[in-house]
Amino acid sequence: MNFILSLLLLLLFQSPSPTPPLVPERVPALLTLIYVGGLALIVLLLLIGLLRSRRPAVNAAVPQDLPKDVKRRLGSTSTNRGLRALRWLFVLLSLTIFSFHIYWAHYAAERNEKFQELSYKDLRARRLSESTLRGWILDRSGRLDQAIAYYRRDSSGEIHREYPLDKALAHILGSDRGDPGLERALFGVESGAMPEALQVVKGQTLEFKGNQDVRLTIDRNLQLAAVDQLKGKHGAVVVLNPQNGEVLALYSEPSYSLKDVEDETTWIRLEANERDKPLVSRALGAYYIPGSTFKTVTMTAAFLAGLQDTEFTCSSSGFQASPGSNPILDDGGPGEVHGRIGIDTAFEVSCNQYFAQMGVKLGPDKLKQAAQLLGIGTYDTPSEALRGRKEPELWNASTDAVKRALAPREATIVTGKQLTRYDLALIGYGQGYAGQMTPFQMALAASAIANTDGKLMKPKIEFNRPPEVFKQVMPAQTAATLRGIMSLVTGGPRGTARGVFAPIKAAGINTGGKTGTAQKVVPVYDPKTGEPKTRHRIERDNRGNIIREYDELIMDQEHPRIDAWFLCIAPLERPQIAIAVIVEGGGYGSKSAAPIAAALVLKARDSGYFNVSNNQAQQSSPPKPKR
Amino acid sequence: MKNRASSHLLLLLLIVGFEIAGYFAIHRAGLLRGYETSIIGAVRDLMMFVPLMALVLWLSRSMRFAGNWILFTTAILLFSIGLLVQYRLYSDPEYNARNKAIAREEKMDALRTRYIMENYDPAKKQMMGLPPTPAQPLSIEQLPHKPSNYTVWNAVTSGYTWIPVFSFIAFAVAYWLCGRDGFLLWLQRNSFIIVLLTLVPLAVAVFTSSAGKALGNMTPWEPSKIPFLVGFAGILTARYKDLAETYWGIPRARDIVPLLVMAMLPFVPFFALKDFGQMLIFSGAYTTLYLVAVRRWPQLLLFVGSVLLVISILVVGALPRDVQEKVPLLPTIARPIGAALPSRIQQRFHLWLDGFDPPSPEVSWWKKDYQDALNKDPRLKELAEQSPAMQKTVNVDIWFDKLAFQPAQAVFGIASGKTTGRGLGLGYPEVIPIADSDYVYAAIGEEMGVAGGAVVILSIIIFVVAGVRTSLEARDMFTKLCAAGLTAFMGFQALVNVGGILRALPMTGITLPFVSHGGFSLITSFAMLGMLMAFSNRNARDRVIADRPTVKPTSSLKLEAVQ
Repeated sequence: MNFILSLLLLLLFQSPSPTPPLVPERVPALLTLIYVGGLALIVLLLLIGLLRSRRPAVNAAVPQDLPKDVKRRLGSTSTNRGLRALRWLFVLLSLTIFSFHIYWAHYAAERNEKFQELSYKDLRARRLSESTLRGWILDRSGRLDQAIAYYRRDSSGEIHREYPLDKALAHILGSDRGDPGLERALFGVESGAMPEALQVVKGQTLEFKGNQDVRLTIDRNLQLAAVDQLKGKHGAVVVLNPQNGEVLALYSEPSYSLKDVEDETTWIRLEANERDKPLVSRALGAYYIPGSTFKTVTMTAAFLAGLQDTEFTCSSSGFQASPGSNPILDDGGPGEVHGRIGIDTAFEVSCNQYFAQMGVKLGPDKLKQAAQLLGIGTYDTPSEALRGRKEPELWNASTDAVKRALAPREATIVTGKQLTRYDLALIGYGQGYAGQMTPFQMALAASAIANTDGKLMKPKIEFNRPPEVFKQVMPAQTAATLRGIMSLVTGGPRGTARGVFAPIKAAGINTGGKTGTAQKVVPVYDPKTGEPKTRHRIERDNRGNIIREYDELIMDQEHPRIDAWFLCIAPLERPQIAIAVIVEGGGYGSKSAAPIAAALVLKARDSGYFNVSNNQAQQSSPPKPKR
Repeated sequence: MKNRASSHLLLLLLIVGFEIAGYFAIHRAGLLRGYETSIIGAVRDLMMFVPLMALVLWLSRSMRFAGNWILFTTAILLFSIGLLVQYRLYSDPEYNARNKAIAREEKMDALRTRYIMENYDPAKKQMMGLPPTPAQPLSIEQLPHKPSNYTVWNAVTSGYTWIPVFSFIAFAVAYWLCGRDGFLLWLQRNSFIIVLLTLVPLAVAVFTSSAGKALGNMTPWEPSKIPFLVGFAGILTARYKDLAETYWGIPRARDIVPLLVMAMLPFVPFFALKDFGQMLIFSGAYTTLYLVAVRRWPQLLLFVGSVLLVISILVVGALPRDVQEKVPLLPTIARPIGAALPSRIQQRFHLWLDGFDPPSPEVSWWKKDYQDALNKDPRLKELAEQSPAMQKTVNVDIWFDKLAFQPAQAVFGIASGKTTGRGLGLGYPEVIPIADSDYVYAAIGEEMGVAGGAVVILSIIIFVVAGVRTSLEARDMFTKLCAAGLTAFMGFQALVNVGGILRALPMTGITLPFVSHGGFSLITSFAMLGMLMAFSNRNARDRVIADRPTVKPTSSLKLEAVQ
């Protein structure tokens, strides 16, 4: 039987390319086609029989010698006319109802939004993902026994998907519910993608790469170190390789267990947790005010505009962007005065007034240019900037699905012509309209400087993909200069992170960095339910009629949350890692975020990342920053 | 395609041949999923064609059938599709299993193990604890599978064997009875008593059944449709000329009242049994019969108008709240209607118009189910109490797990079938509950696609057209109306069933004639087929007689002549 069927298949589908393997599903599929085809043939024969046996109208028992039209009128009674009308009505109704079938089979999946939204409820999708095997996901080492997602067979023969680094990689791998992560992006099949019988017979079986393992760029040790460092806090760590864009570690705390969310109730509960938001990856999907870390972007913009030699005064009365606007002071208040300084010192001590003035001097166009080179979205109005779209085009990935799965939310700044000097000043030191950054974006900003050619490489998570350039941000020489300035923060006499990085410097590793501290007013949360507290507001028009009713979040104006940032690149001469750390509520950047980065630098050193660059270190030493 | 027994016998043989292909496909697909479908069951199903062919021979030889064979063959075509889908479903261990989750796991494991054996290289196999064999394709016979436990004794005692046999017997009996003029005359004269007599067992059924089903998941009162139809046709035959005399479009009271009484009688028990689908079909069939018999334009308009009015009242009353609010004054009209409508109708309308959205948990007919579900699962209850947003998510979940489960999964199934279907045995129709009787069209749509659906719908159209032709060619009013009524009944039943599954109409609990093997549906369908074929035979005989101008009209014209 098999032989006959395979012969049949080969005869029917001669393809010039090598015949696809005789997947066993082709047999039932072919037989189904034969069956349905056969039935259709029989129906056709019946239809022909029906049409051919049409008779002229019934002849009543009348004498044959009447004239023809009288006979005809006598024969066709009014009852029969009614019956014929019924027949037509029925045929029409059936065809109308059949058209619904065609709608569901062909159009609903694409056009009907409700259908698409709720298609996750289709039990077939779950079966599809259960019945097809996914490839194994390997970490950077590429070793099967260190796989981060694999299959295990227990004693009763059941096969389970195991995630040994469960919580550490939850946001990257993603679960079956909610937005797809890498698991579904790399191996997922939507139930609409299952081939129909005709396609199965032609050999177009499901293109699922169940046998292809995927090697990621994630370093197991760095990832686990990040988990360790962020324990008990809320925050995120991003570690990239600036030379080729590889993502070495990407972690967001609090995370969740992939095994736990297989239970629907747990998932619903986690999703509803507004305060902790464990399902959201803070590294990719949460917006924060960058604070002083944004000064890296402003500095880049200044160098690109040729304004790097400008000196500004930092005074005790602060900087007033325009008459009457709030004076901009440094963190230490009116007491912190730096005097007349250049860009390198300003970066080293993180002077807000300098960068505020630089922001004003740069103006919206120069800022816009620099931001776009770094992948930051620039918009003319605040409402557009707040939309929060995802930015899959940033990634260097093999499929669109992977890009979408890992797409960060687009960091935005407003650079319209209507910006006032005060707005520009705020943007300059990372407040105001620059307040919508993600940790991922800040890591990219740092890695543009860390790249030896001044290029921003597109981030990639698949080991075997060749690196791609996002943009050529700055000339190589400028990048080297900027690296030198960044090294002042961790190693210079007044660097804001010199204390934390002293042991690292002592260990012989040259690094660069930038601290950041940002205040954010957050909603008040009800301690019992974890839900944000709201106040019911009613808008009325001048006649007292209600126009709008809504619930407004109550913001905690007295206790703003102070987020701690730190950007780091190491080793300075030819950086192999660019780190961005944020700790929500961590206070000063140097206090909470910098130690985490320092620990990660040491871990990277121990894993051997810095051995490569030692040889090149002698050749290209960073030039001294110009005075 | 001549209208001869031999040609149709050939067609039957063709059907058997293709059925064998279909059964083989199901068997293979079952092996791929780790279970063996029962060969005994397949043989039993195919053996059903033996009595069918015997019936053909009996009809053509001893009964000298001269009527339209198309009726028979089309019905058998639908029957055979039903056999196949039923085989597919009841062979699936998950469909029958008490613990569906375990059965599903086993199926998935079988698929995955096969994949691993065929594709993983030895190193990975070893890591999984399997013998490190090289990756190579396995033949179907080598696959491990669970053997079927369907024995010959199961086959002999199963309902799936006996119900078709009883249906064939019902067919033969109906054919024989309705071929006799004396019987037809008796039916016509005693229509009222027949209807009353039928009410008695129905009353018993009303008091002993619950939730519209009895004797398990069956509806044993289905055969009562026939006496009701016949009774109505009888009364109409007696009075249609009187009814045609109208005063300003409305017939005389003394003519219309007994008719209305007769028409309303079946509605009472069906309303009590909550079988709204049957009521709908009855109204359709009766209206058709009336209009066909008494063709006066004002009455036609009156009927159509009142039907539309009733439908719009129902729709208005059952519209979901947010749609209602779009039209001014509609909520105020709708509220009393909504309150008066039985909850089941409201449910069904909501599922039809807005099936993908659950109603608010406060709505009266949803409240009880919602609370029950919450009480069963305390975690859900705790989640729902947290916030309105949570409650909405929980509501959607419960909706899709309870009321909307069957229709939603059916629609998803049809959507996944696309044009040629997923293939017999390769889809997942077992996910749809009661897929072998009420929702059989969904299973067909999933595994055989739009093509399969087209075959079914075309067959139904052919059947109805042939039935209408039988009615057209009838020479006496009673036979004409009976045939028209039976055809209308079966045609509308099929349309309402398919339309309900495809969301063109609200879902009702009725089955697809001939295809659904559930309970008494098959017996009723075959009995109706028998009657239709008897009428068709009659027509042929009358035609032969009438075409011979020298032969005097014989007793066959004793019945009421056509106007």
